[in-house]
Amino acid sequence: MSSRVFSDTGSPVSVRDLGTLIGVVLIFAAFAFVAPSFLNAQNLINILQQSAINACVAVGMTIVIISGGIDLSVGPVAALSAVVAATLMVKGLPPSVGFVAGVLVGTACGSINGIIVAYCGLQPFIVTLGTLSIYRAVALIFTDGNPVLGIPDSFRNALSATFFGLPMSVVIVTIVAILAWVMLRKMPLGEYIFAVGGNEEAARVAGVPVERTKIFAYSISGALASLGALIVVGRLGAAEPVLGNLWELDAIAAAAIGGASLLGGKGGVIGTLLGAIILGGMRNGLTLMNVQAFYQLLATGVVILLAMMVDRLTRGRR
Amino acid sequence: MNTSYALQLSNINKQYPGVKALTDVHLRVSQGEIHAIVGENGAGKSTLLKVISGVISPDSGEILLDGKAVTLKSPKDAKRAGIAMIHQELQLIPELNVVQNLFLGAPLVRRGRLLDRAAMFERAQAVLAPLDPAIPLAAKIRQLSVAQKQMVEIARALLANARVIAMDEPTSSLTPAEFEKLAGIIRQLSQQGVAIIYVSHKLDEIFEVSSRATVLRDGKFIDELALSDVTQQQLVHKMVGRELRSWPKREYDRADTVLSAQSLSWGERVRDVSLTLHKGEILGIAGLVGAGRTELVRLLAGIERADKGEIHKNGKRLRLRSARDAIKAGIALVPEERKVDGIIPMQSIFSNICLPVFDRWTRAGLVRRGALQLRATALAQQVNLRPPKLSRAIRLLSGGNQQKAIICRWLNSGADVLIFDEPTRGVDVGAKQEIYQLIEQIVNDGRSVIIVSSELDEVMRLSDRLLVMQSGRISGELKSDEFSEAAIMTLAIPHEVTSQPS
Repeated sequence: MSSRVFSDTGSPVSVRDLGTLIGVVLIFAAFAFVAPSFLNAQNLINILQQSAINACVAVGMTIVIISGGIDLSVGPVAALSAVVAATLMVKGLPPSVGFVAGVLVGTACGSINGIIVAYCGLQPFIVTLGTLSIYRAVALIFTDGNPVLGIPDSFRNALSATFFGLPMSVVIVTIVAILAWVMLRKMPLGEYIFAVGGNEEAARVAGVPVERTKIFAYSISGALASLGALIVVGRLGAAEPVLGNLWELDAIAAAAIGGASLLGGKGGVIGTLLGAIILGGMRNGLTLMNVQAFYQLLATGVVILLAMMVDRLTRGRR
Repeated sequence: MNTSYALQLSNINKQYPGVKALTDVHLRVSQGEIHAIVGENGAGKSTLLKVISGVISPDSGEILLDGKAVTLKSPKDAKRAGIAMIHQELQLIPELNVVQNLFLGAPLVRRGRLLDRAAMFERAQAVLAPLDPAIPLAAKIRQLSVAQKQMVEIARALLANARVIAMDEPTSSLTPAEFEKLAGIIRQLSQQGVAIIYVSHKLDEIFEVSSRATVLRDGKFIDELALSDVTQQQLVHKMVGRELRSWPKREYDRADTVLSAQSLSWGERVRDVSLTLHKGEILGIAGLVGAGRTELVRLLAGIERADKGEIHKNGKRLRLRSARDAIKAGIALVPEERKVDGIIPMQSIFSNICLPVFDRWTRAGLVRRGALQLRATALAQQVNLRPPKLSRAIRLLSGGNQQKAIICRWLNSGADVLIFDEPTRGVDVGAKQEIYQLIEQIVNDGRSVIIVSSELDEVMRLSDRLLVMQSGRISGELKSDEFSEAAIMTLAIPHEVTSQPS
C-alpha cells in the first residue's frame, strides 16, 4: 500500500499543490537567472494572460478527469461555439447575446459527450475522439471553412479591458477557478465527482447519481472550452473554424502536472492552475531567450515527463 | 509410492494482518490420486490452493514435490515445478483462439524466431482430442461453453507437463452431464499418474470422484481420510465440527412487516423469490456461493433491476430504478465486495460516510460540513472506528474499520432496512465481534436487518429467522429453534448428481 502524502480533502491546498508550486518557483527562478526581464511585473502579467485560456479549458478538463473521464473534444467545441457566437454578433445581435449563445453551444456539446459516456457505456476517450471530429466538421461546414470577421468593437473592448491592471481574461479565469474550486470542495456535486472517479461502482451503491454527475462534468468542460474560445475571439476580433487545435493536449498536460490522475478520483483546481502557469511560463521564458519554437516544444515535453516522474517518486515515499 | 508423495505440504502457516488463515496445515497427495479438500467457506481451502499454486508464500512450512523440497515464490515457479491450477474463473484470453491460448507464453518456434503454427496445431490436436474432440482448434475461446473452456485449461496443464493439477470448484457452472464427462477425464488423468486436487462444495461429487479427502476447518488441518470409510454425514460433521449452540431470542413484533418481496426474478440468478422482513428482525439468508444470495439482495437494494416481481416497503410498492431510489426508501446495502462496491479508496473516511447524504445537508448549495462532521464523528465513536481521524483516506483503514465506516454511512443516512452481504469477510476476529454487536444494536433500535453470510456460525448466531437459497430459489425457511448446520446444508446443497459412495 503506497501512502500518498496528501489525503486531507479538508485543507484548501494539498501537499501535492505545494509540490507543483515549488516547480513553478524553480522554473521561474531558472528563467529569471538567464533572462532578468522575465520577472518584470509586466512580463508576469503577460504570462498569466498567456496561460489564461489554457487554464480555463484545463479547469474543465480537470473536472472531467477527476470524474474518471477525458475530454478530447475541447478544441472543436471551442471552435464551434466561437463561430456561432461570432456569426450571431456579426448578424447584429448584441454581444451579450452572442456571448451567452457561445457558452450555451459549448455546454450543449459537452452534455452530448456526457450523455453518450453515461448512457452508452462507451469509453470517454473514444466518445470524445469521435465528437472531436464531429464538432470540428460542424464548425467547418457552418462557416464553409472561412473565418468569421467583423466582431463588434464593443465585444472586443469588453474582453480586452483591464481590472486593477489585470487583463480581463485573467479576471475571468480567476472567477471560473474560484467557482470550480467551490463546486469541487464545497458542494455535493464535487463529492460526487470525486466518488465517481474514485470508484464508480461504489459510488452507485452509495446512491450517487452517477449518470447525472458525468453529464455535469462534461457540460462544464464544454462550457469552459467555449469561454476560452470567446476570450480568443475578443482578442483576435475574428472566429476561425480551426480555432482550438490541440487545446486538449495542453489542458491535459496542465491537469496532469497539477496532480490530476488520468485514472480518476484525484486532482484539483489549484494544481491545474499552477500547471497551466508552468506551461505558460515555459513558453514565455523560452521566447524571451529567443529559443526556436521547435525547441520550445521539446522543452515542454521534457517538463511534463519530469513533473510526472517527480510526482511518482514522491508518492512512492512512505 | 508410499514413501514419497507427488505433493506433500507440512506445517504450513499463513498469517494475514489480523487473521490466521492457515495453522499447521498438512496435505499429502500420492501420484495418480484424486484428493479432495473440503471445509466450510473460510476454512482455508483457497488459501491453501494459493500456496500450492505459488500465488502466496506461506510464512512457514515445507512443500515437497516427489520428496524434494521446493520453494514456490510465484505462479511461474509452481508451473515450472509441474503444478497447474484450474481456477473458478478460467484464465483464458477470450479473443484468442484455442491453439493460441494453449501455447500462451510458451509458443513453439522454428528457426529460433518464427511461430511454428503447424507444430502447435498438431500438438494441440493430440492433447485436446482425447479430452473433447468436438472443440474446434481455430475457435475463439469466447465461442466455447464453460465446460469446453475447462477442457482447454486442462489441455494447457497437460501441455505444460503438469503432474499435479488443482481444481477449484470446477463444476460450479457445469450441467450434470458435463460433470460426468469431467469426472471421466479426471479419472483418466489419474490413471496416467497425474495427482488431482479437487476442491468443491458439492459433497456428492466429491464422493463420486475422489478417493481421499483432507478436511480443513478455521484454517486448521482436521483430518485426512479415505472416503470409502465415511458417510457424507460424517464428513459434514468433520467440516462443521461444532455442537449445536443456541442464542438468546430477541423479542420483536412479527405482525409488523417492514419490507416484503413477491415473486422476484432476475434471469437464472434469482427465481421467484418471496420474502418478508419484520420490524426489529434479523433475517438471515444462507446458501452456497452462487446460490443467488448476493443477487437477491442487490435487487432489494435497487442496484440491479428485477425482470419480474414486486417489492413493498411499509405497505407501499417501490419501483426501484437505482440504489439511490432504494436509499431514499430507507433500504441500504453493506456490500460483499468492499473494495469494489463499498469504499471510494482515495476519498476521506468523512466523504465515504457522508456520500449518500451530502445533498440533504446543504445551505445555499454548499455542504454543511461542520454539522455533518459532528454527526459523522459521533457515529464513528459509536461504532468504535479506529483510528477516528475522519480526514484520512479510507483505504488506510483495516478491513474491519472500513466495514464500520460503511455501517456509519447507513446509520447516518437514516436507513431502516440494512442489508449486510458477508458482513465480516476479510475482517479480523476482534472487529468481527464488534460488527456483530453493532448489528444487534441496529435492530434493537427498531431497524431491520438482512444478513447474507457463508459462515453458518455467523448467520445462525445473528438471525432470528433463516432463509436458505439454492440455485436462485428459496429452498426452505428455518425458525431459530430449527437452526443447525445439517439443516442448512441439506437445504443448500443441490442434489443434481446421484451420490455413489464407493
